[in-house]
Amino acid sequence: MAAESPSSVRKVVVHLRATGDAPILKQSKFKIAGADKFAKVIDFLRRQLHRETLFVYVNSAFSPNPDESIIDLYTNFGFDGKLVVNYACSMAWG
Amino acid sequence: MSGAATVSASEAHKLVWEGSVPLLIHLHDSEVTTLPPPPPALVLAPRLGYLPLLISELKPYFSSTLPPGVDTLWFEYRGLPLKWYIPTGVLFDLLCVEPERPWNLTVHFRGYPSNLLLPCEGEDSVKWSFINSLKEAAYVTKGNCKNVMNMSQSDQVELWRSVLNGNLESYQRVSSKLKLGTFEDEYTENISAVSTASQQNSGEADAAAQVKSGRIPVRLYVWTVTEDFDDLESAPQIDNWDKVHSFGAGKYFSLNDAIKSLLPEYFPGSSFDNLGDASTKQSVGDERENTCDPDSSSLPLENAEIKLVRIQGIEPCLEIPFSWVVNNLMNPEYFLHICVCLKVSEANALQ
Repeated sequence: MAAESPSSVRKVVVHLRATGDAPILKQSKFKIAGADKFAKVIDFLRRQLHRETLFVYVNSAFSPNPDESIIDLYTNFGFDGKLVVNYACSMAWG
Repeated sequence: MSGAATVSASEAHKLVWEGSVPLLIHLHDSEVTTLPPPPPALVLAPRLGYLPLLISELKPYFSSTLPPGVDTLWFEYRGLPLKWYIPTGVLFDLLCVEPERPWNLTVHFRGYPSNLLLPCEGEDSVKWSFINSLKEAAYVTKGNCKNVMNMSQSDQVELWRSVLNGNLESYQRVSSKLKLGTFEDEYTENISAVSTASQQNSGEADAAAQVKSGRIPVRLYVWTVTEDFDDLESAPQIDNWDKVHSFGAGKYFSLNDAIKSLLPEYFPGSSFDNLGDASTKQSVGDERENTCDPDSSSLPLENAEIKLVRIQGIEPCLEIPFSWVVNNLMNPEYFLHICVCLKVSEANALQ
């Protein structure tokens, strides 16, 4: 924690999109450190939406493991310079 | 995808599916309420399986001695809580450097370390994680996961049951419907297509769509050591998950090429390191925290040496074609799990 590692300098734009009846956030785009885990996005959404149960997907397709890093997800699944994350209050894509 | 010949089970598939790790499971002292304490349980865990699925076998051994409470099963190895969604065989290959048989694990039924491990509610959680990994793999290969999502409920159940029961035939019957196919040797071409196209980030989605069959889902577990070791017994132990980095998708030719191109920061000379963000890709969770210069993110770590590569318990020759490795040694969720131990020089590790 003392000094920043190079990877934490690299930021990724995460675009949060509501699905189904999930509330829309006032701000939908965030910059997140690439070194952070996907769990951080999930926790952020939980806190914003005050919900314990939340379904979070990448590209309306799959739920990555919360342990996967943001930069890795971005490298593999990002496009147009951002990582699209969809969230729903009930299961949207199984 | 060249079809028919690949549908029948190869000898390698059978061996992979029959692979198992003998476990000697001890109940943690804090959960022993009887005298004498229960003897450890000896179980044969499928390599392709997941530890929480062993509950039905383990519960009878220990149920009579447990303190009152609700069961939340978790395991540890030498103090390291084990991630339940990593296949058992991969955990063994990664953490038990000098393979010990049986592998001594400690089981807990109480006091789930939710600050360290993702919550697990038994088989449902494992199935959810498996299906999502499968979808992720499909997305890497195809650019979407329609085939997985359009699976009928009964097929999905059968697919999961075949993994649960280690039934290769039924697995192949159902999984062939996913048309995720096998991977051929044409990656060298595809690779270059991907690398040029994804130099601009905006091109990535299109590139993924065009060369969809050229991308291979890989999970690479890398741990780096700074001290050389000659025999595995003296290799340093992994005592913290922060020391293991895992990475996503890849593409390639020989196993050696594949590993090096997935780790461009350790092998700056290898080709394909121009894959979009590849240069920062593997610095995730990296321990070079004393770097003073924030702009040095692509600082090459030279002199890295591959000390050990393990896939499905095998230490394969690094010159074998990567396509063979992928087609024969991948797990049922279509991910190839590779454990790699890298030796980096101390100077580089401290940079």
